[in-house]
Amino acid sequence: MSDNNPLLKTLVIGILFSFVLAAIAAIVIRQAQFSRADLPVLGRVPNFEFTERSGIPFGKEEMKGSICVVDFIFTNCPSACPIMSSHISELYKLYAHSDKIRFVSISVDPARDSLRVLQEYAKSHGVTDNRWLFLRAPIEQVITLSEKGVMLPAENLPMGHSTKLVLVDPNGNIRGYYDGLNDASIAHLKEAIKALAQRMS
Amino acid sequence: MKLFKRFALVSVFLTYLLIFVGGLVRVSGAGLGCPDWPKCFGRWIPPLSIHQLPQNIDPASFNLTLAWIEYINRLLGMLVGLSILATAILAIIYFRKQKQILWPSLAAALLVAYQGWQGGQVVTSNLRPLLVSAHMVIAFIIVSLLLYVIQQLNSLELKEPLAKNTFGGLKTFVLILWIFTIIQVLLGTEVRASIEMLSDKFPLLMNSELLQRLGSVDEIHRTLGILLALVTIFVAFRIIKKEGGSSLSNLSWGMIFIVFIQAMLGSVQVIIGLPALMQLFHLWVASLLVGVLLLVYTSMKKGGQIRNV
Repeated sequence: MSDNNPLLKTLVIGILFSFVLAAIAAIVIRQAQFSRADLPVLGRVPNFEFTERSGIPFGKEEMKGSICVVDFIFTNCPSACPIMSSHISELYKLYAHSDKIRFVSISVDPARDSLRVLQEYAKSHGVTDNRWLFLRAPIEQVITLSEKGVMLPAENLPMGHSTKLVLVDPNGNIRGYYDGLNDASIAHLKEAIKALAQRMS
Repeated sequence: MKLFKRFALVSVFLTYLLIFVGGLVRVSGAGLGCPDWPKCFGRWIPPLSIHQLPQNIDPASFNLTLAWIEYINRLLGMLVGLSILATAILAIIYFRKQKQILWPSLAAALLVAYQGWQGGQVVTSNLRPLLVSAHMVIAFIIVSLLLYVIQQLNSLELKEPLAKNTFGGLKTFVLILWIFTIIQVLLGTEVRASIEMLSDKFPLLMNSELLQRLGSVDEIHRTLGILLALVTIFVAFRIIKKEGGSSLSNLSWGMIFIVFIQAMLGSVQVIIGLPALMQLFHLWVASLLVGVLLLVYTSMKKGGQIRNV
């Protein structure tokens, strides 16, 4: 038996040590998961009702029940919007198999962006269903929603619109702002969407 | 000499701990917890709150927990580096003539310095899978070198000449097992990388669903795993039969135990869909197995009668 003692001792110490490591690791992994899913409520989307490219009304009530990524664009925009829309287009394709996530692009140039123009814009970005919506409303209402509703500056429109993407949870709470021009920020947005989606299921 | 051994043993212990922490960084997704290197958010000590962030950094990129997980990996890495450096310096002082101790000690010190720098490359590359895997393989090599040093030291300490025990083909078998186990580890990292690629493509799928979409890499990893486990257990029992009671047979029992645990960890992952903790231990136990296989091989070469490590 004495021959086995060192082996037994090593084994027991090893196993105990492994359990301690496992406990610590389990806590750390949980913390990491929590920290990633920790998306504080930054505000609430107020009631609004705009018109979707198809002509039907679309507002806060319609947003409820899905995770929404909201941004402000205009179809004639030369620099920022194409990048923002290409990011959204990428996400639109990425989540093609899920109906939990929707994208809402609001025009800041309603004078030029008629519903027909918005339809064309949607088509040119490969949008074939209602997972990506394009909204139009009188400019004052758009400014109010931007500035008072989701707390984004809307001066000197259309050029002066914000380039942020707003993440809204299924209850209409604002959960994050992401830079629509920055790849790294889009990566964070994906993580946040995943965290919210996991909580939904 | 005692001091040297103490440092070498501490280095092995710390390196294994670091491999564990490194795996923890990986499974908790904290690899980019600090987006810069060697500093963390432009500071030597990571920010404790969002208010300490430098102006030019997007607050959305800051996650306190992930930053500290990554930072602890770096701190422990630093400690391991110093410990191995001390071991190498002691090797130069005491073992200048014993090349079998001197060279691997120096090699471990050089590699650990390289590993620190390479870790920075992993971060700046935005966690390129190849670099992440290389980071782990280098850690395996470092720990193997250190184990080899300790093994050599042990056989140096034995005063009486050993009764030669010839293992013949069995010895080669262990070496081949060692090589294939490393290949198996690389395949494992490949499985992990393909899961990550799939999860980029289908971000809302659960791990268990992703696992079903994995192709041939996963199958090869499983098949080779079963094969290796069987062969390792077979070889271990052969050694025990020849060497009953010696420390080599103890090592062989250890080998059987580790393979058993590893096979369990592997299959549990398939059944319950890759929980992070299991992934971590699966990798860590693999690193232990690589170490034990190396110890078994080198002690077989020495004739079997080494002391306990």
